[in-house]
Amino acid sequence: MITHINKNWSIYAWYLIIVIGLIITIAPFWWALSSSFKDNVTIFAEVAPFSFWSMVPGTSLDPYYGIFQKGFGKAMINTFFVSVVSVIGGIVINSMAGFAFAQFRFKGDNIMFGFILLSFAVPADAIAIPLFKMMRQIGWFDTYYALIIPMLANGIIIFLFRQFFMGIPKELMEAARVDGLSWFGVYWKICMPLSRPVTLGAGLLLFVFQWESFLWPLIAAPSPDLHLIQVVLARFSTEYAPIWNQQFAASTIAGLLPLIFIYMFQKQFVSALTGVEQK
Amino acid sequence: MKNNFFKRQWIVPYLFLAPALLATIAFKLYPIFIGLWESLIYTSFGGGVEKRLFVWFENYQYLFDDPLFWQSLKITSILTVIINPFQISLSLGLALLLMRKSRFIRVIRSLYLLPIGVALPIATVVWGLMLDPYQGLANGFLGLFGIPPQPFLISEHQALWSIIAIATWKGVAFWMLFLLAGMEEIPTQYYEAAKIDGARTFEKFRFITLPLLKRTILFVFVADTATNFVLMVPMIILTKGGPMQSTNVLAFEAYRSGFYYQDWGRSLSIISILTIISLIVIGLQLLFLGENKEDKVK
Repeated sequence: MITHINKNWSIYAWYLIIVIGLIITIAPFWWALSSSFKDNVTIFAEVAPFSFWSMVPGTSLDPYYGIFQKGFGKAMINTFFVSVVSVIGGIVINSMAGFAFAQFRFKGDNIMFGFILLSFAVPADAIAIPLFKMMRQIGWFDTYYALIIPMLANGIIIFLFRQFFMGIPKELMEAARVDGLSWFGVYWKICMPLSRPVTLGAGLLLFVFQWESFLWPLIAAPSPDLHLIQVVLARFSTEYAPIWNQQFAASTIAGLLPLIFIYMFQKQFVSALTGVEQK
Repeated sequence: MKNNFFKRQWIVPYLFLAPALLATIAFKLYPIFIGLWESLIYTSFGGGVEKRLFVWFENYQYLFDDPLFWQSLKITSILTVIINPFQISLSLGLALLLMRKSRFIRVIRSLYLLPIGVALPIATVVWGLMLDPYQGLANGFLGLFGIPPQPFLISEHQALWSIIAIATWKGVAFWMLFLLAGMEEIPTQYYEAAKIDGARTFEKFRFITLPLLKRTILFVFVADTATNFVLMVPMIILTKGGPMQSTNVLAFEAYRSGFYYQDWGRSLSIISILTIISLIVIGLQLLFLGENKEDKVK
């Protein structure tokens, strides 16, 4: 009897904590989304004093119209371009490195593997300032090169591909070699077509990394023509500080796209990130 | 025959490896050396001409004589000591909550993972408006309970806490993901056996979950610490290090010295010091939390 009551009590407590946590997790983004369809006077009126209408989406599209007049579209195109090129380039060079580590024993292989993994433990933001100096020295400052090329190699993704390639039966590749296929042929025609799930997860990670990058594009490519989406968003929040609804609209678009991708491929994303196969 | 085969083939793995390896050396390793080297150089702009002078450790000397640096180091220390244990315990608690079986658990988990998809600048901008002292949702909500409006980001006593809240909102789901994945790898038989032995919930956590999750927790702790050492996006967008330098962490001070004042020597000395400090802290974490032989059960 007592245990029964205890059990019920713990379930209610669990639900209570879960719901409070969910409110904290979702409320900011939901408020941003709701307010992105309202005019500023309404937003302010509904917040102080607090009214539950602040959580009900409005119907105005003016804020969205407004941000596209302020160059948001250009930033979206830029970000798409940079992300897609990074995904393609990143998949090619990282999968090739993963193939090398999985398939061959060669001088220094363990050291190089350790070195690559370790180098990615250094947060990108820590080397952003020296990297910026380097971009100036080699003339890539304020170009697409600076936005894309330093971000291509990625230890996590090399690791992912290596793990996957190690699982491909060696006999398959040896048979192809005997049939006269080059090593590049083995990699490109046999291994890559087999590794769709890893490629999807890796591509998603590379895309999200670029879509969410802020500090690097902010310092490496300051001219407005090269602005990426997070930089424009931050710019809106200082240059157009009083125009809340447009900041919300920009946040909604910038936030929704990766969310949609992540939710569509949640399984691949989580296994790519944590290295644990999802059931 | 075989020997000959290998002689022709020895270069193949290096060719596959070359692009990624060269990119790693060029864009990850080399900048660290540039940073160290340039921190020993003084740059002046006399008459529009950039003059570079090798000054040994003078930049560091100036830094150590500057109260602003020590203030910044203090803020960084406070942030590090608070934010990392806070985020880790919160993610661990949340992961435990989300291991519970429920009809809605898949939906609940998905919703909790939402902040992972929301980039830090977005979270910062939206939370900046949430925490607006006059029209923010936070004060509107507090008003429901009769709590007077708080200044949040514009108060030197609350700004750092507000930034911790923003970074935690963004970070907890991400770190929880690793802990959750680690927990799911633990065989359920262990818990069933413990249940037969009459173990309580806390005992199961203490003697099964915690030891078996140790490697994951260590990884998350180290990665979280490394991330938070360079936390500066909320400072760049919202506080600019203020009010009264109360959010001026070393990473932001480095950013400001370089990009506001073009004092690259100072900027890169700070980066070098920050890198050394974070390496020491991470080394200590690995030393004290990692090498514990008794936990190597399995």
